[in-house]
Amino acid sequence: MENLVYVALFAPFVGSLFAALFGMSERRIFVGIVASILIGIAFLASATLAYNLLMTGDVVQIRMMDWISAGDFNVSFGFVVDQISVTMMTVVSLVSTVVHIYAIGYMDHDKSFNRFFSYLSAFVFSMMVLVMSDNFLGLFIGWEGVGVCSWLLVGFWYHKPDQAREDNPSISPSWAANEAFIMNRIADLGMLVGIFILYWNTGSLQYDEVFAQLPYLSDAVLKGAAIALFIGAMGKSAQFPLHTWLTDAMEGPTPVSALIHAATMVTAGVFLVIRANPLYSMEAVEGVSFFIASLGTFVAFYAASMALVERDLKRIIAYSTLSQLGYMFAAAGLGAYWIALFHLAAHAFFKALLFLGGGNVMHAMHDELDLFKMGNLRKEMRGTWIYMTLASVALAGLPPLAGFWSKDAIIETAFNEHTYFLWGMLVLTAGMTAFYSFRQIFLSFHGEDRYTALGFHPHEMYKFVLVAMSPLAVLAVITGWFMGSYKAFIYKIGESVQYEMSAHTHHLANYLGLIVIFFAVTGIVIAYLKYARTGEKAWKRDEEKEQGFFYKLLKNQYYVPKFYEEFITKPYMMLSEIFWTKVDLKIVDGTVDSIAKFFYGAGDKTRSMQTGNLSNYLNWMAVGAVLLLTIAAVSAMIG
Amino acid sequence: MENILSILVFFPAVAGLLGFVIDKDSAKAYGVTVAAIEFLLSLWLWFSFDTASAGMQFVEMIPLIPDMGISYYVGADGISLFIIIMTTLMTLIGMASMGETKNIKNMIVTLLFLEMTMIGVFVALDAIIFYLFWELSLVPMLYIIGAWGGPLRVYASIKFFLYTFTGSLIMLVGMLFVAYIYHSLTGVWSFAITDWYALVLPVDYQLWLFAAFFIGFAIKVPMFPFHTWIPYAHGQAPTIGSVILAAVLLKMGTYGFVRFSLPMFPDASVMAITPVAVLSLIMIVYTAMIAYAQKDIKQVIAYSSVSHMGIIMLGLFAMNAEGLSGSVFQMLSHGIVSGALFMLVGMIYERRHTKLMSEFGGLASVMPKFAVIFGVMLMASVGLPLTIGFVGEFLVLLGFYQVSPIITIIAGTSIILGAVYMLRVMKFTFFGPLNNEENKKLKDLNRRETWSLIPLVAIVIWLGVYPKPVLEPIDNSVKALLNFMDEKALTKEAKDMIRVAKSSKEVK
Amino acid sequence: MIGLSHYLVISAILFSIGLVGVLRRRNLLMLFFATEVMLNAVNIAFAAISHYYNDLTGQMFAFFIIAVAASEVAVGLGILIVLYKKHGSLDLDDLASMRG
Repeated sequence: MENLVYVALFAPFVGSLFAALFGMSERRIFVGIVASILIGIAFLASATLAYNLLMTGDVVQIRMMDWISAGDFNVSFGFVVDQISVTMMTVVSLVSTVVHIYAIGYMDHDKSFNRFFSYLSAFVFSMMVLVMSDNFLGLFIGWEGVGVCSWLLVGFWYHKPDQAREDNPSISPSWAANEAFIMNRIADLGMLVGIFILYWNTGSLQYDEVFAQLPYLSDAVLKGAAIALFIGAMGKSAQFPLHTWLTDAMEGPTPVSALIHAATMVTAGVFLVIRANPLYSMEAVEGVSFFIASLGTFVAFYAASMALVERDLKRIIAYSTLSQLGYMFAAAGLGAYWIALFHLAAHAFFKALLFLGGGNVMHAMHDELDLFKMGNLRKEMRGTWIYMTLASVALAGLPPLAGFWSKDAIIETAFNEHTYFLWGMLVLTAGMTAFYSFRQIFLSFHGEDRYTALGFHPHEMYKFVLVAMSPLAVLAVITGWFMGSYKAFIYKIGESVQYEMSAHTHHLANYLGLIVIFFAVTGIVIAYLKYARTGEKAWKRDEEKEQGFFYKLLKNQYYVPKFYEEFITKPYMMLSEIFWTKVDLKIVDGTVDSIAKFFYGAGDKTRSMQTGNLSNYLNWMAVGAVLLLTIAAVSAMIG
Repeated sequence: MENILSILVFFPAVAGLLGFVIDKDSAKAYGVTVAAIEFLLSLWLWFSFDTASAGMQFVEMIPLIPDMGISYYVGADGISLFIIIMTTLMTLIGMASMGETKNIKNMIVTLLFLEMTMIGVFVALDAIIFYLFWELSLVPMLYIIGAWGGPLRVYASIKFFLYTFTGSLIMLVGMLFVAYIYHSLTGVWSFAITDWYALVLPVDYQLWLFAAFFIGFAIKVPMFPFHTWIPYAHGQAPTIGSVILAAVLLKMGTYGFVRFSLPMFPDASVMAITPVAVLSLIMIVYTAMIAYAQKDIKQVIAYSSVSHMGIIMLGLFAMNAEGLSGSVFQMLSHGIVSGALFMLVGMIYERRHTKLMSEFGGLASVMPKFAVIFGVMLMASVGLPLTIGFVGEFLVLLGFYQVSPIITIIAGTSIILGAVYMLRVMKFTFFGPLNNEENKKLKDLNRRETWSLIPLVAIVIWLGVYPKPVLEPIDNSVKALLNFMDEKALTKEAKDMIRVAKSSKEVK
Repeated sequence: MIGLSHYLVISAILFSIGLVGVLRRRNLLMLFFATEVMLNAVNIAFAAISHYYNDLTGQMFAFFIIAVAASEVAVGLGILIVLYKKHGSLDLDDLASMRG
């Protein structure tokens, strides 16, 4: 089994190095194929490990080599394959495989094809390190590694120029990449502090050792660690107020958005909370956990509201990702860790499918993302239409697709915990989710054809790409059916992940489910009436409405990016300028120079004594002698 | 080879003297050969170094003025060993990558002489010898900046010289005073640092002496507010000058703290934690912000270098093995990373004769190799895990967290601010459209440049993934140092503050 | 009765005359004379004090000073002659060449 762990971990790394060898040469298809095969191997290894764990229940734990040791601090590269990590490994490697194959088709005209695969495989490797590590610092390696890969991939088309925020809310790929990296760094500081707290109080960073010490720690320490680690999670999972980077990250190529900014990397924050579930289920950190749940609910609603008016296909999906991450945090914060993890997996499948479908549309429409310029694409792109509709149904949470089971369980949890306000918000958000995802489907695939007039000639994606997407489509449908067996599987890990609904909730479960379905269906129906019809009742753009206050508020993302720019970026730049030109050059260096100038000036002034006239010298000598004599006399009298 | 340290010190100087008679055309090859031999010698030093022992090794002692207790006394421990190796490595690589053609022979001789003084500082165990090399190192640097520098070179070199010289004179007064106390207590004169270690000084003496040494070292580091010479020095110095200055000369200051201030004045050091930490914080945050405002790439790196030295200073005063080992490791990491960054800037300067970011943009498409290596070094500079920059920075912050969480969190903003200014450089230099006509014809790195950078890239990754071979000897010596400080400390506060690692063994 | 103080007063007066000469005179030759006057003022003081204390050391010193002054004049006058030949003047204002 140990070898399989190494295979799962290093196959993507080998793939990345292989692709990097060709990084600067021209496009070679086999680079993509080899990388995809290697990721596929990693998937097979992960699946075998999962199967083995399911059958035997043996957790594999290995220690590869020492990393840092100084003083009493000691940390090594160790990996653990337990129920939590194996779930992530399988999901990550499966989605990655599909995305790799997809990218062979999607990127086939790009001159940096090889470089793309190098980055993409490196990302998978980092993600594997992140989920498999058996200590917090190892997780941090992966954490930063995925950050860098995301930076590289978002900024993949680095040559694009900056645009004004009004023309392109993400400004440029390189700008978006930097924003993502820096925002994540802010959160990473929080995570580092969490690591420091845990180390100085438990003397270790190994998960099992740290968790074993938790009952002996003071409340303040527990709270501090929980808050600090969650700040880290907020950055990576783009929770408010560190969320703006996620939508801007859509500047990256679509396979990247599907893999990194929907299925895997952004869920790392949720994964961290689930991984550290013994910490978050301590009684002392109840407040923090409730805050996580509330923030998650808020983000779910907040992001969904922005998606309602968005015109950009990818940004809508990004908002929905944000919103679903909120759901996951709500579940994790309420203590239903396994439900959060299950939703994470289900979401990874249908969201990746949705994104890849979006990528097909983009490919067909020559990188046009404006929904208002599409309509009735269904007749050109039947396969993509089916996939995206399936994914949207799953996202909207209609039975029997994956999204229904996992999302419904989360909403039920909120009810079960008697947090009725959260429950209400989540139900409402479910309705909004259904609306905006079908608004997108109807605007792009149904209704009147608006693209021909604009000169687009869309065409369906390559066959092999559509075939490669099929596993995701199947999983988007069936994942939910295995919720029961997954529950049995993950319960083995221990008490802290177990979560059961109370008898009362159980009793009402069917009604609760019906309420959610009712909201979702209502959302879809409204979307249908408004956007899907043709002929007389066809949707028309309403310019007047777009000038309304709420519309503009939502369209500008509640002016949060604007706020950051005006109140953080610009003042920082100004302050830096002042520090440099005023403080450093004028005051600090000015003081140093003025000391030097004082001596220089003194020399310049006294230089005039040096007349070259002996008589003057003799006069000065006499003055000096008198002075010395006076001093001697005075000191003699005093002494 | 009993006297390998002496060979290490004097071989470059002797070879440098011989260099005067070498033909002008072969001067560079000669210099590189000498530097390579020197580097191999330093590797041999590592090879024969007993990593388990924490004390001084390869000790040599030849009395020079016995009446005054001045002797030629050298030795190396885990802390100095790797700084020596880094010195020889950066000299070799800096020299090999050098594109300078003006007065190449003089440059080679100057560099070899500089190498002697730098190694001399790191091996000296006698205060007078230490001071001698310390001051001598100013001369070649003055010459490098003043003779090969930019338009403001005279101002920059004089500022550099006078500023650091003033500081070291104050340090010299401190040294003489320590020797005087030693004489009045024991009746014999001695300038041997190991003898001085045995001296238990009253706290008020410690404070005065700490201050005297502090000024000498702080100007060299350079700590805020003594840092203003460095933007000029870097701005005017030729590439090789900046590389050596950032990689090695600055480390003399921090090394001085480890060698003198901490073991000799433990109580004063503990008392100085807060003021030093505050100055370090200002260095970290303030200079990081100034770096963000720069328009010249080289100045960004110059200021970032000050900011990173702040991290090193913070670690030195963490008073635990984690922070101190991390700090020493960070010295190496900073030497290699900032050295490499200066080399990279030098390479682009040679091509375009400008270092202004506004002149560039989109270079990644014409110079992909250059962009990749710059990217690796950038990531190391912002402390990405699995690069050399992370290990030191992490350990320093981890160590200082035990002293003060608040200060650590503020210092930790360096990982954010560092990313802010470095990514800005990356964006404006390498990303965006390639608009400037002159940039379209730029050639990517040639073979000489590539191969002088690749070893640095390899080290950055190797020591990021597996720092143990380097970290372990450092850690041993650091633990011994902390043990020693703890035993020697007079006040209870100091004893409480200095934390001896549980795992540290008793070292004689 | 002429006592020590009379001699010392004479010496002080002579010294002051010499000093004023040194400070005010512009001609090098005159400066020389002025310094000689100062030296001799000191000589008087030496001799008088020597007599007062009955200690011959002071008088010996006076002889030494006379000898030194004589050789100094010899060398100094030589230099003056050379200077005069070169510049045609012994006025200090004309000779000033090391202006800072």
